[in-house]
Amino acid sequence: MATNNELIRVVDVVKEYNKGEVKALNGCSLTVNRGEVVAIVGSSGSGKSTMLRCLNMLEVPTSGHIYFDGVDLADKNVDINLHRRKMGMVFQHFNLFPHKTVMQNIMLAPVHLKLKTKAEARAKGEELLKRIGLLEKANEYPNMLSGGQKQRIAIVRALAMEPEVMLFDEPTSALDPEMVNEVLDLMRDLAKAGMTMVVVTHEMGFAREVADRVIFMDGGQILESNTPEKLFDHPQNPRLKDFLSKVL
Amino acid sequence: MNFAVIGQNIVKLWLKYWDKFLITGMEYTLSLAALTVFFGAIIGSMIALMRMSKIPPLRWIAAVYTELIRGTPMLLQLYLFYFALPQLIPFLNRKQYLCVAIALICNSAAYVSEIIRSGIQAVDIGQTEAARSLGMSKSLTMTEIILPQAVKNILPALCNEFIMITKDTSLASTFFIGDLMTQVLLVKGATYLTFEPLVIAAAIYFVVTFILSKLVALLERRMRRGDIR
Ligand SMILES: Nc1ncnc2c1ncn2[C@@H]1O[C@H](COP(=O)(O)OP(=O)(O)OP(=O)(O)O)[C@@H](O)[C@H]1O
Ligand SMILES: [Mg+2]
Repeated sequence: MATNNELIRVVDVVKEYNKGEVKALNGCSLTVNRGEVVAIVGSSGSGKSTMLRCLNMLEVPTSGHIYFDGVDLADKNVDINLHRRKMGMVFQHFNLFPHKTVMQNIMLAPVHLKLKTKAEARAKGEELLKRIGLLEKANEYPNMLSGGQKQRIAIVRALAMEPEVMLFDEPTSALDPEMVNEVLDLMRDLAKAGMTMVVVTHEMGFAREVADRVIFMDGGQILESNTPEKLFDHPQNPRLKDFLSKVL
Repeated sequence: MNFAVIGQNIVKLWLKYWDKFLITGMEYTLSLAALTVFFGAIIGSMIALMRMSKIPPLRWIAAVYTELIRGTPMLLQLYLFYFALPQLIPFLNRKQYLCVAIALICNSAAYVSEIIRSGIQAVDIGQTEAARSLGMSKSLTMTEIILPQAVKNILPALCNEFIMITKDTSLASTFFIGDLMTQVLLVKGATYLTFEPLVIAAAIYFVVTFILSKLVALLERRMRRGDIR
């Protein structure tokens, strides 16, 4: 049964669109332990984003269960808002709030959800901004920032909620090449600090270096799940071999 | 047509009746338009909320209402309301202005609800996803994230609706409610001149809507600048 080390357990999740015409997920199961970094790789349309977005119910699975801290999030009686607080999410296109300053972006949720007083939230925001070297941008609006800065702020905004897990959906895909590293560096630091992370990524080098486990998805299914060394150097599944021959 | 005579008549009419056109007529026209857009916006917001609601019957009612209003001529709606309202609500008996105003408001509400709905839907879905993934509730997301951004789309469109209504109120002159077109009819009755009062009214409508649309363009530009900050 569930060890207390287990944070997320996905059981037989199916996600259909257009009344079953599209099967984005076709029976996926996986577990994520506390402190673990899991990378999800696979070709376009294989269901990676859908998998990740099911974890915090941005997509509601057609069937199956998602246990977070032992609670089944797919249960309709569960107040999903309470659980989402503990799951930070970072998007490909940052999704910073353009009408709020950097500091307001960071403080908004903790203050409105009454997790922190204004002063506490500000102090936390300053500490986080200092850590990524962007404290002087606190009162700027997002449109004044570069892509790499925006994404790092988006990560910090999620961290301000003090989440138990961070979910990343291709956080560097929308960035100019010269800005990719500043974001990957921050994610690397997070991983080192022991943050539980699930990362959908096209950065194979990053997956190999930082992930404890890599998952390969294809056609809405998890075809292989292994340590980066084994998955990248000794792939078993022919689809994975094919995929790796194209991306490596 | 003798242009010299027409020109002289216009000047004469203007000197004699300018206050009827410019003050009385415009006062009715603009106040009716403002009243219409104000209450149209309030009711339109409620219809927009219904249309985006999770409860299907609310959605259907709102959709049917909007389509009915948008699918029938305004003049016909004015007639319908003008004759039906006093029958349904005795209080409105011989209150022509109110009946016409209510008809205009009901008409405008349908269009405004579409303005509001599309203004809200034009906000990037990623904004909602980001807010919800932080644990914010639907209503908090709406008030803190979506509406402040939607206002930038909605406000200029609402002002354009005001300009449209300013012109549409002329239809209400069928019922002699005192607006600019009603003044045209009155002056026509007093002077037996048909063409000249129309020219004066056209000029006033044009100048007013022209100025208003320039102001809206200015507003639009400022709102867009707000985006870039
Ligand atoms: N809202 C939707 N409606 C219909 N089909 C969808 C929807 N979202 C995703 N799909 C389909 O589900 C499948 C999986 O999509 P998903 O976005 O999870 O892929 P992905 O692995 O993240 O791809 P990418 O690398 O391009 O981001 C695709 O075939 C996609 O077309
Ligand atoms: Mg994706």
